[in-house]
Amino acid sequence: MQNKKGDLEISFGWLFAIIAGVIIIVLAIYFSSKLIGTEQETRNAETGKEIGILLNPLETSFESAQTTSITIPVETRINNGCSIIGAFGRQTIQLDQKSFNEWTKTNINVFFSNKYIFSEEQVEGKKFYIFSKPFDFPFKVADLVYMTSANEKYCFIEPPEDIKEELSNLNQANILTEDCVGDEIKVCFNAGSCDINVNYNLGSVEKNGETIYFDEGDDALMYAGIFSEKAVYECQLKRLMLRIKTLSKLYESKEIISEKEGCTDNSLFGDLEILNELSEGFESSEGINALEIIAENLENKNNGRRCPLW
Amino acid sequence: MVIKNKKAQMKIQQMMFMLLAVTFLFILVGVFFLAIKLSTLKQSATSLEEKNAMLLVSKLASSPEFSCENAFGAKASCVDFDKVIALKEMKEYSDFWGVAEIEIRKIFPASNEICTSQNYPNCGIVKVFESKKNALPPSTNFISLCRKEVSERIIYDKCELALLMVSSEEKG
Repeated sequence: MQNKKGDLEISFGWLFAIIAGVIIIVLAIYFSSKLIGTEQETRNAETGKEIGILLNPLETSFESAQTTSITIPVETRINNGCSIIGAFGRQTIQLDQKSFNEWTKTNINVFFSNKYIFSEEQVEGKKFYIFSKPFDFPFKVADLVYMTSANEKYCFIEPPEDIKEELSNLNQANILTEDCVGDEIKVCFNAGSCDINVNYNLGSVEKNGETIYFDEGDDALMYAGIFSEKAVYECQLKRLMLRIKTLSKLYESKEIISEKEGCTDNSLFGDLEILNELSEGFESSEGINALEIIAENLENKNNGRRCPLW
Repeated sequence: MVIKNKKAQMKIQQMMFMLLAVTFLFILVGVFFLAIKLSTLKQSATSLEEKNAMLLVSKLASSPEFSCENAFGAKASCVDFDKVIALKEMKEYSDFWGVAEIEIRKIFPASNEICTSQNYPNCGIVKVFESKKNALPPSTNFISLCRKEVSERIIYDKCELALLMVSSEEKG
């Protein structure tokens, strides 16, 4: 092996085997780590899709509200995204999960056109509470879904009696209407020194120094304002307006069909057309009052029909 | 010298063949593994779609595009026939529920005639939405299909038993 003192003679075979071995091991480690990453992303995307699917049973028929909870085995961050793309906009869910004490970020978004989730932009935890409530304007538009982490507790201080009753009936562990300990997120009604302040008569919610507006008398949007950030609220409200626009077109068509069948009545066509136009031009929650007047008018006219459209 | 050179060349060739064989082996194992992974992924995507269809069909009758609301009094699992016929023509909804097909079939009185705006309401099958995707066998739910019927001067609610069918898309 040694021809001179200190010189190490390595045969070509050995050298080649070492280099090839190193390359193979490096490639194996690289692909394994890539595979683990892809596996994690796949799992996150699957969980995201599953969460969306599990929201289907929350569609309400005659109930005023429904609640459920989702428990994920690992610590999870649910990123609630919303965009105004297409005819109805999109609800996106993107998940980051904790693996070996580190958050694994994923770039896979799961899209839904028929879901409206109101929450903080990022909700973190293992257990999540979800409750839903129908939003009528004046016809049923959608079921709004409110998602909160079990880590965050909300204390409703002196809410109006019907809200107190509804929240108590929900029996959701992280929503309290009495016996608050003190570390909860405080929600006040008509008093101005809590984390979230609701002006029930004016139809506004003040949170993190920002104000959003809701349709007075419609609690679905009020809850939406309480449980979500302004950006999420405004985006989801625009999506709801897109759905109102399409639904008003649907009711216009229904009116034509029922007239053909002999169900002649006071026409709602003109009012539906106005609702269609106003919802198309909807900019922010500040403009909800203008639409509310049209909605009320439509509701009254529809109730007076022999063949109500909804 | 020539013999030694030839021996070395042989060794190099031997090594190259060995290396090629090892590389091919790794590639084959990798491709096999990826094929299995891809097929499991497709399976889980399809099963998620099926689950979506199954859960959707039980609540679709309550969604605003289908539900009777208060037009026919308080009725559970009530689908507005007029609305469904109007919905059929609206292309905006083609991908709204994320399923491959939605169909309504009258059970009683049964009819195999597909509903169009011309033959409505004397028909039995409403293809609310159908895509060109590979549709899986449908999930079904019983509903009351209601509309207003005008007879002389009386307007009354006419509700018929029907089946709401939702098919999910087969992935891959």
